[in-house]
Amino acid sequence: MNDRNKIIYTLILLINITPYLYVFYNFKKINFNIDGIIGFYPIFGFLACISLIIIAKILAVVLKKGDTYYD
Amino acid sequence: MISSLISHPAFPLAVGSLFIFIFKEKANLISIGSILISLFVLLFITDNIDYVYKSGLASLNYFSYSKLAYLFCLVFLIMGLIGKLFSIYRDSYKEKAMVLIYISSAIFVLFSGDFLTLYIFWEIMAIASTMVIWSSNSDKSLSAGNRYLLMHLLGGLILLLGIIGLYIDTNNLQIRLLNLDTWYNWMILVGFLLNAGAPPFSQWIPDAYPEGSYSSTVFLSAYTTKTSVFILIVTFAGSHILMLIGIYMIMYGIIYALLENDIRRILSYSIVNQVGFMIVGIGIGTELSLNGTAAHAFSHIIYKGLLLMSAGSVIYMINKYKCTDVGGLYKTMPLTAICGIIGALAISAFPLTSGFISKSMIVDASIHEGMQLVWLMLLVGSAGVFLHAGIKFPWFVFFHRDKKIITTDPPIYMKYAMIIASTICIVIGIWPQLLYSLLPYPVDFIPYTGNHVVSQLHLLFFSALAFFISLKYLERTLTLTLDIDWLYRGKIKYIKLLTKYIFSMINKTENIFSFTSLRNKFATLEDYLLRQTTISAMLILILIIFSVSLIMNIN
Repeated sequence: MNDRNKIIYTLILLINITPYLYVFYNFKKINFNIDGIIGFYPIFGFLACISLIIIAKILAVVLKKGDTYYD
Repeated sequence: MISSLISHPAFPLAVGSLFIFIFKEKANLISIGSILISLFVLLFITDNIDYVYKSGLASLNYFSYSKLAYLFCLVFLIMGLIGKLFSIYRDSYKEKAMVLIYISSAIFVLFSGDFLTLYIFWEIMAIASTMVIWSSNSDKSLSAGNRYLLMHLLGGLILLLGIIGLYIDTNNLQIRLLNLDTWYNWMILVGFLLNAGAPPFSQWIPDAYPEGSYSSTVFLSAYTTKTSVFILIVTFAGSHILMLIGIYMIMYGIIYALLENDIRRILSYSIVNQVGFMIVGIGIGTELSLNGTAAHAFSHIIYKGLLLMSAGSVIYMINKYKCTDVGGLYKTMPLTAICGIIGALAISAFPLTSGFISKSMIVDASIHEGMQLVWLMLLVGSAGVFLHAGIKFPWFVFFHRDKKIITTDPPIYMKYAMIIASTICIVIGIWPQLLYSLLPYPVDFIPYTGNHVVSQLHLLFFSALAFFISLKYLERTLTLTLDIDWLYRGKIKYIKLLTKYIFSMINKTENIFSFTSLRNKFATLEDYLLRQTTISAMLILILIIFSVSLIMNIN
């Protein structure tokens, strides 16, 4: 098992705890309706990161050049 | 005049830099001593006092107290002290002297009471920081410093035009809140924003800062952008266009950092990203958001310094700059790794660190104003920070593939510097009142509520998951990413390509002229033109300073 898999399993263990964190979450004090949905922050954070990576990868097709481009 | 200068916190630094040129061997002692004297002077500033130098037609208000300036000055001096501790082993008295001038001019900008004084020290700051970049004595730093100086002189001239317009129209140069209804106020805004790394020229930060020496980058990251944030708080708080600019900067920093390979360039992109959060805070413009911006600038200076110090330690010990060359350093440099991770947690606003207590103020301010879209963008930004700086930096440097590099932690003073910075990050995170009591407006904000902590932890855990799932696609390669500087950096390359094309065309018929020599002449002309623009910009600057001094001494 390599480092990456170890970390992913640890993270999955940690992520199993995250639903229980809702014990401390006050649903009466939500700001907009959207953050009253259970699982809003995790899903939003995950999708935001994945889409940022996808945008970066698409831009890389055009913008990435070799290390010595300006030399 | 002299007696009032002595009670100015920037004055000891300016004197100290002169002393360094005389006593070259004692550079460390003098620089640390002068920063300590400055801190001592700062302790005694409590009242609203104004020092004005009057001569003839012009008057320079070079000291005008405000609580905000006091806060920024305090963090500038703390970071200066930590950075000086870190750079003790750097063997270059010129760099040390220039850093002192740089800090001193930044503090003069903070306390200046009118736009003329601000402009003078603004330009001194630009020149001193260019000298700091040049002091690493490499060819790359020379050309990067040239581009940096051109960019800042351009920004300075735009700012000067705006200031002249403001003076002609209102006959009042006092620094005050401006609104964007006249052309000169727009020019002042553009001049300030250029120093903050706003679009489309955000690129000068990651272009120039990583070319400094391992120690000078620590200083460069702290002062130029944050003086600009300070002055934007004072002059353009509440201009809604700043929110758009800030959100662009947040996204720009994340996306470019994801594609970057150079360690310090990743961290430079995250400066753009973090300053973006501050610019959004200024754009919102309520008391809470301005407090949040000031607090975020304070904590940002410390944790960014910490991150760049841990990157600087790696560079100092193994002289490698790229993610592709390092990896697995946590075994040989455990302390550097721990401090780097603390800095990375602070920048991603993990609870119990300084980033959390400051960034949540800006996010909450957007909620109080009912700006749902801005709030969502800030959430994307918060998740993205963890992605590009919070995990990417420590992962590729200290973990990832073990490259079996034999090394140790850096020498003792560099360790002390990193430990002090990480302690500040954590102490402010645990006792936020320490920082809140220094903020310009009264603070009625509790960072550690259940909702704040839970939402932040949820965001961070799942962005970490996203990082490790897509790790295969984030693998670093030996590449660079094009940016707006392509417009003025790629020129010589295209002239070469063009001449090559013509050469091949002519070669088919007959080779009469020696085109290689012609091409060389082309390159020389290019170089000459570039130098001319630098020199002419410098001359304009000198002329301005001369005319200012003439105006002041006319009677």
